[in-house]
Amino acid sequence: MKKNKEPFINSTVRRMVRDTRPIRKWLILSSLLSVGIIACAIATPELLGKLIDQLYAWLQGDPSASLTAQLLPDLLILFAVYAANAGITYGNHYLLNHVVSRFYTAGLRIRMSDKLQRLPVSFMDKTPAGDIIEKMQEDVSSMGNSIHGIIEILITGFLQILAIAVFMFLKSWLLALAVLAVMPLSLWLSSKLASLSEKSWHASFEYFGKMYSTVEESYTNFPATKAFNLENHVQQHHDEINTDHQEVARKANFLQSIVQPIIAFTNALAYILIALLGGWLIVYRSVPVGTVVTVILFAKQLSAPLERIASGFGELQMVKASAKRVYDVLDLEEEIRPAEEIHAAVEGNIRFEHVDFSYSKDKPLIEDLCIDVKKGQNVAIVGPTGAGKTTIVNLLMRFYDLNGGKILIDGQDVATLSRDSTRDLFGMVLQDTWLFKGTVAENVAYGKPDATREEIIDACDRAYCDHFIHTLPQGYDTVISEDTTTISAGQKQLLTIARALLANKQLLILDEATSNVDTRTEILIQKGMDKLMEGRTVFVIAHRLSTIVDSDLILVLNHGQIVEQGTHQELLEKQGFYYQIYTSQYAI
Amino acid sequence: MRKLLIYLKPQRKRIVFATLLMAVSVLCNLALPTIMSSILDNGVYRSAVENTFPYTAKMCGIMLAVALISLAAVIAGFRLTSRITTAFTRDLRSAIFRKVHTMTFEEMGKIGTGGLVTRSTHDVGTLAWVASMLSGNIFIIPIMFVGGVALCFSKDITLSLIMLAMVPLVIVVVVLLGKKITPRWELSDKYCDRQNDIVRERIRGIRVIRAFNREPREHERIAEATHVMAENIIKANTTMALTVPMTTFVLNIAIALIVWVGGLRIQGGSDLTPGDIFAVIQYVELVLNALISASFAIIMFPHARVAAKRICEVMEAEGTADLIPEEDLHFSGRIDFEDASFQYEGADRAALSHSTLHIKPGDRISGIGGTGSGKSTLVSLLLSFRQPTDGRVLFDGRDAATISRKTIRRNISCALQKSMIYSGTVRENVQMGRMDATEDEIREVLDIAQLSDFIAEQKDGMDYILEQSGTNLSGGQKQRLAIARCIIKDAPIYIFDDSFSALDFLTEAKLRTRLNSQFAGRTQIVITQRVTSAMNSDCIFVLNEGKLVGAGKHAELLEQCEIYREIFASQTGGARK
Repeated sequence: MKKNKEPFINSTVRRMVRDTRPIRKWLILSSLLSVGIIACAIATPELLGKLIDQLYAWLQGDPSASLTAQLLPDLLILFAVYAANAGITYGNHYLLNHVVSRFYTAGLRIRMSDKLQRLPVSFMDKTPAGDIIEKMQEDVSSMGNSIHGIIEILITGFLQILAIAVFMFLKSWLLALAVLAVMPLSLWLSSKLASLSEKSWHASFEYFGKMYSTVEESYTNFPATKAFNLENHVQQHHDEINTDHQEVARKANFLQSIVQPIIAFTNALAYILIALLGGWLIVYRSVPVGTVVTVILFAKQLSAPLERIASGFGELQMVKASAKRVYDVLDLEEEIRPAEEIHAAVEGNIRFEHVDFSYSKDKPLIEDLCIDVKKGQNVAIVGPTGAGKTTIVNLLMRFYDLNGGKILIDGQDVATLSRDSTRDLFGMVLQDTWLFKGTVAENVAYGKPDATREEIIDACDRAYCDHFIHTLPQGYDTVISEDTTTISAGQKQLLTIARALLANKQLLILDEATSNVDTRTEILIQKGMDKLMEGRTVFVIAHRLSTIVDSDLILVLNHGQIVEQGTHQELLEKQGFYYQIYTSQYAI
Repeated sequence: MRKLLIYLKPQRKRIVFATLLMAVSVLCNLALPTIMSSILDNGVYRSAVENTFPYTAKMCGIMLAVALISLAAVIAGFRLTSRITTAFTRDLRSAIFRKVHTMTFEEMGKIGTGGLVTRSTHDVGTLAWVASMLSGNIFIIPIMFVGGVALCFSKDITLSLIMLAMVPLVIVVVVLLGKKITPRWELSDKYCDRQNDIVRERIRGIRVIRAFNREPREHERIAEATHVMAENIIKANTTMALTVPMTTFVLNIAIALIVWVGGLRIQGGSDLTPGDIFAVIQYVELVLNALISASFAIIMFPHARVAAKRICEVMEAEGTADLIPEEDLHFSGRIDFEDASFQYEGADRAALSHSTLHIKPGDRISGIGGTGSGKSTLVSLLLSFRQPTDGRVLFDGRDAATISRKTIRRNISCALQKSMIYSGTVRENVQMGRMDATEDEIREVLDIAQLSDFIAEQKDGMDYILEQSGTNLSGGQKQRLAIARCIIKDAPIYIFDDSFSALDFLTEAKLRTRLNSQFAGRTQIVITQRVTSAMNSDCIFVLNEGKLVGAGKHAELLEQCEIYREIFASQTGGARK
C-alpha cells in the first residue's frame, strides 16, 4: 500500500516527459496549435451569444431593419471559426501522430531492443521473450498514446480553462467566480476517482497477467491434460482466476465510467449558479442579457476541458505503470565492457586457472577448476546432467563472468580483452540451431557478412548441405526462418555447421546435438563436424560416443569439478567414474 | 458475431434495467436544455422588464432535481452495465477455455497454441472493451439521437430539417473513413507482428549474435522494422483522426445555417423566439455528441468483428465429444496394432502406414527411429489422441474405437515428449498423476525419477514453487518431474515418449533400473532416438519414414535390419558389444 503515498507526478512521469526531448519543438508547435483550438472554442460561444443578442435586439428594435444583413458578418466569421477549428484539430492530430510514432515510441522500442543486446546473457536466460515483447509493444504504445494525453492535460486543458476564466472575468467577475467556485470540486473529484480506479486497474492488470499465463500454460499442456484426464481440474483453476479478474475489472470499469457523468453534474451545478446569479444581476444590477448568455455558454465550454482533464488523470495513472515497466528494462545493469580491443592472432592454447563460478550465490557450481588445452587439441566434455558442461561454454564465450580465477588464451588473461574480441576468436555450433528470417545464403554468411557467393557455396559443400539447398525452391535465395518446416532440424544443424566453417575461427565450440535427426542426416552432421574440427582447438559437449572415443582429451565433470581426465583408453583402464558412465549406457 | 450474443442471454434482466436507467438519464439530459432555454427566455431575458427572479429560482430548483435524477440513474446504470460486460466476458472466456479442451488435436493444430491463447485473452479483451464502450452508449446513442431530433421538431420543423439534412452526410463520411481504416489497421497489425518476430529472434539468438559480434546488424534490422511499423501506425491513426473534426464540422455548419435561417424566419414574422433557436442549437450539439459516439462505434466495429470471427472459429470446432460411456475397465497390457495407418489431413504420405505389431502384457518395448519416422504417431494412436485413418488399435483384443477415451487414458500413464509442467508446486505436479497420492508415495516417485537431490537442495522441498510451464527448471529436471508424475499413476501400461533425451547416460541408467524393478509385470513402452536406450528391451520396433522396418531383439535386428544397423553405427561409432 506504499503506492498510495506516491506523489501524483512522480519521477517516472518526469522521466517520460524528459524523454520527449527529440520531439520537443514539435510539441511546442502542437501547443501553439492547441492555443488556436482554444481560441476557436472561446470564439464560438462568444459569436453565438452575440448572434442571439442581435436576435433579441432586433425584436425590441425596428422591425423594418434587415435582420439578416445584421447577422451575416458574424455568421461568416462563425463559419470561418468552425472551419479553422476543424482544420487545426486535424492538423494537430496529424502532427502529434507523426512525431510521436516516428520519434518517440519508435525510439523507445529501438532503445529497448538494443538494451537487450547489452544485457548479460543471464538476464535473457531468465526472462521469457513474451514478457519483453509485451513491454515493447503494449507498454510503449500506451506511453505514446498518453504523451498525447499528458500534453492535452498540461497544456490544452489548463490553458483552455485559464482562457475561458479570463474572458468570463472580463464579462462579469461575479459570474466568473460562481463558475470557478465549482471547478476545484470537479478537479478534486476527478483526481480522487482517477487514483481509486488506478488501484483497480493495477489489480486488473495483475490478474490479467495471471490469467494469460494460465491460459497459455493450459493450452501448451493440452496433451498432458488429456492424457491424465485433467480437463476439469484445469477448468476449475482457470475459472477461479477468471472470476477474480473480472471482479476487479468491473470495479475499474465502473469507476472510470462514472467520471464523465459526475463532471457533467458539476457543470449543471455551475449552470444553475450562473442562471440564478445572472437573473439576479439583470434584475438588480441591470447587466445586459447578452453578457449573461455569453457567460452561460462559456460555462458550458468549461465542461469539455474538465472532462478531458478527468480522463487524462485516469490515463496518467494507467501509463505510470507502463512507463515504469519500460524504464525498469532500460535501467537494468549492463554487461561490463572493457574498452580495450585487442585482436591477437591466436594459436589456440587455452588454460583455466583456479576458476570459480556459480549462477546463484548460495549454490556453488564450479570451484577451483583447472584445465590445460594445447592448440589443435580436441577436448570432449562429458558428465551427468547439471555437472556444468554448458557452463564451460558460457564462461569461454564470456556470456557469464567468472567469480574467481582466470581463463588464459595463449597466455593472455581474457578478462583484459574486450568481450567482442574474445568472442571473435571462437566459432560455435550450438544444440539449439538459430536461424533468422532471411535467405539461406544470408544465414550461412552470418559470421562473415562480406563472404562471396562462391565462399558460401564452398562452405555449404564442405558441410554437406549444398545438395539439399539445391532442392529448395530458390536454392541459396530461399527465405527460411526458425519456424520453416521445409527443412528438417538436422538440415538446420548442417547450415549452422556451414556458418561456422565459413567464419573460420581458430577456436571452436560444439554443443553436439543428435536428437531429432534422422540417421542419414546424422551421418552427414558427423562428417561435417569432423571436417570442422580439423586443425582447430575444439571443445565438444559430447553426446555421441564416437566423439568421446576419438578425442585427444576427455574431461569428466561431476558437480562442477573435473573428476577425471585423460584419453578414452586411459580412463577406461582406470575403471572410475568415466568407466561407470561409459558402461551405463549399455546397461539400460 | 450473433452467435456470441447467447452469452448475453443470462444478463437479460440486467440489460432491461440498465436500458431503463439509461433512458431516464438521457431523458433528463434532454430536458436540461429545455429547462435552460426557458430559464433564459422566461427568466433571464424577461428579467430586464419585470422581476422574474422567483421564476428563475424555481426553474433552477427543477434543473437541480433533474440533474440529480440523471446522475443517480446513470451511476446505477453504469453499475449494471459494468456487471453485464464483465459477466459476459467471464462467461465467454470460460466457454472458450472449456471448448478448447474438447477440441481434437487436428483442430488444435490448425489454430495453433499461440492463436488459441490470443483468442482466449486478446480477442475476448477486444470484445469486452468494445462492449464496455458500447454498453453505456448503445442505449444512450439512439435515445439521445431520436430525442434530440424530436425536441428539435417540437421547436421548429424547418430548423430541424436543416439538421437532419446533415446527418446522411455525417454517415457517409464515417462509413467511408471506416472502410479506409480497416485495411490500414490490418497492415499495421501485420507489421507489428513482424517487429515482434524480429525481437523474438534477437532474444532467442543472443548467443549466436554475440558469438559473431553482429549487434550493429541486429540494430539496423530492428530500427528498420520499427520504422516501418511506425509509418503504418501513423497512416492508420491519421485516417482515424479525421473522424471527429469532419463530423463536428458538418454539424457546425448546420448550427450556422440554423442561426441564419432562424433569423430569416424571425424577420419574416414567424413566432419563433431567439430562445427557441438557442434551444435548437443545444439539441444539435446533443445529436452531434450522439453521432460522434456512434461514429466511434462504427469505426471500432470492424475490430470487434475480426475478434468475434476469430473466437467463432474456436466455438465452431466440432471437438471430440466422448460419446461412449466410461467403463470400469482394467487393461491387462496387451496391445495390438492391426494394419494401422495414420495420415495427417493434407499430407502426401502417411505418418504411420500399415503397421502391425503385437505387445504382450509385461513386455518392455522400445520404439526407435529419427524425426518423421512415425514413433510419436504411435503414441498418439495409443492414447487415442488421434484415430487411425485405416486399420485398428486393440487393447486386450477390443477395438480402441469402441472404448471411451477417458477409460483408455485411465489405463495408460505417459510421460510425453515435451515435458509439460503446470505452475504450482512440485508436489502438485506429481499429484496430478494421482490426486490421492500420499506424501511417502510422492517422495518415492521423486526418488525413482532421480529428483531427490534437487528437492533436498530446495528450501521448500516438495513445495518448491514452479513458474509458468516450469521455466525455473532445467530441461532435464522437467523431464524427470514429468516422469515422476507418470509413474505415480497406477496403470497397466506405461509410455515414455522420448522422455530420457535430456538425461545423461548415468542418470538414465539409474532411473531405468529403478523403473524396471518397480514395473515388473506392467507393459512399458519406451520411445527413443538413442540406440543405447533401446538395446536391452524385450522387443524393439524400428520405424523409418512412417513404416515399421524391423521388430525383434537387439542382436536379431543387428543382423536383419539395415536401418537399425545404421542407427547403431552412427551413434556408437561402430562400438562393439
